[in-house]
Amino acid sequence: MQLIRPASLAGLAALALALAAGGASPARADGELTMRGVYYKERATRVMQPMLDGRFDVGDHGQATGHLLVDAITSASIAAGNDGAAFSERRVEGGAGYSHELGVYKVGGLVRYSSEPDYTSTFAGVRGAAELFDRNLTVTVGATVGHDAISNAGAPPMVPRREDTLTTYLGSLSVAQVLSPNLIGAVTYDLGYLDGEQANLYRAVIAEGMLVAERHPRTRVRHAVATSLKAFVPSSLTTVIASYRYYRDDWQIDGHTPELRVYQDVGDSAVFGVRYRYHRQDAAYFYEPRYASASPEFLSDDVKLSAFDSHTMAAQLEVAGEAVGLAGRLGEVRGQLVIEYVDQNNRFGNALVAHAALIIPISY
Amino acid sequence: MLRLGVAFAATLYLATAGCAVVRPHERQNLARRTMTEDRQPGHGRFIQHQTGSREGADGGTGEPGGGCGCN
Repeated sequence: MQLIRPASLAGLAALALALAAGGASPARADGELTMRGVYYKERATRVMQPMLDGRFDVGDHGQATGHLLVDAITSASIAAGNDGAAFSERRVEGGAGYSHELGVYKVGGLVRYSSEPDYTSTFAGVRGAAELFDRNLTVTVGATVGHDAISNAGAPPMVPRREDTLTTYLGSLSVAQVLSPNLIGAVTYDLGYLDGEQANLYRAVIAEGMLVAERHPRTRVRHAVATSLKAFVPSSLTTVIASYRYYRDDWQIDGHTPELRVYQDVGDSAVFGVRYRYHRQDAAYFYEPRYASASPEFLSDDVKLSAFDSHTMAAQLEVAGEAVGLAGRLGEVRGQLVIEYVDQNNRFGNALVAHAALIIPISY
Repeated sequence: MLRLGVAFAATLYLATAGCAVVRPHERQNLARRTMTEDRQPGHGRFIQHQTGSREGADGGTGEPGGGCGCN
């Protein structure tokens, strides 16, 4: 498995820190650069994902964002169904966005491109927001379209080549309301429509005692409604965020996902946080662990289409440079560590996730 | 679908009905880093990617998921 060379990351870190530390001239605009590394481990899969995120003011009313990441995946994947043989794969993703304020309105767009040897994906979207009633009510609408090109290029030579596409449409409506100086509520509704190949081209199911390529419906309509309430408690400097998502699609998967996050300021330069997330879902109507016959139109033993529940528990610590004696702009640089444990009651098994990030404010 | 629409409208009504207007100078706590999750896009993106490849449910963030062969 080959990752981004450490020297490259070190160079980026040095450049970002130099930008953060430099600048004796008066600041004209602000930005933020985040370098994050993620390690994900479960029974049969390891993922390492270094990523770089940037956010920069453009003029008085614009903001540009961008990201670049590499996924290095090593898996004896149950999901990929390649008989437990380990494989390594690298995925590269980049994205950029821009938003512009026009009075109480904000308009913007985003693009995202992802490439791996057997899968490329391109997304583009637009978004508009209106801040109404003295900016107490924000209504946001968005539309995104994506095109994926899929193949089984990683299969052994004797396996027939397959290629297909998947088109994804997403419409989103979100309403956020300031309820008090310390309380804000939001509701988001997402409607997704997928058209194309949605099965894994490597995965097979057991039907009539034989291995048969899985077959998924080519269309899927997905609904998700998410609500959240964020509260700040000034007396204890505590932030509490409660959210709940209801999901339903025409594959008859119903999902319920409540989540609670609590962040506690520790002095002026550190924040400690904990997160708990519960997820429960029903199975897709065509899901079976194995089939008595290969004749059904749709066949899948994809674990994530099965009925299961999971619990995610996470702890997070974010410390500013000034807490360790750094002064000036370097004192505003923050380091972040996140540890998550996912108890998945299915064949994937439990997972451990670790993040380490350096968040660098930049003025220019 | 109808039930979803009714639930959305009811939540929207409950969220906005009778709200006092909060002036800009009263919003410093709402602008705190811990109250603005979009300040951690990489963290949120990874969570969406992780759950999207391990769960049949997705969405509710306004952001497109998927886009990889990890299904």
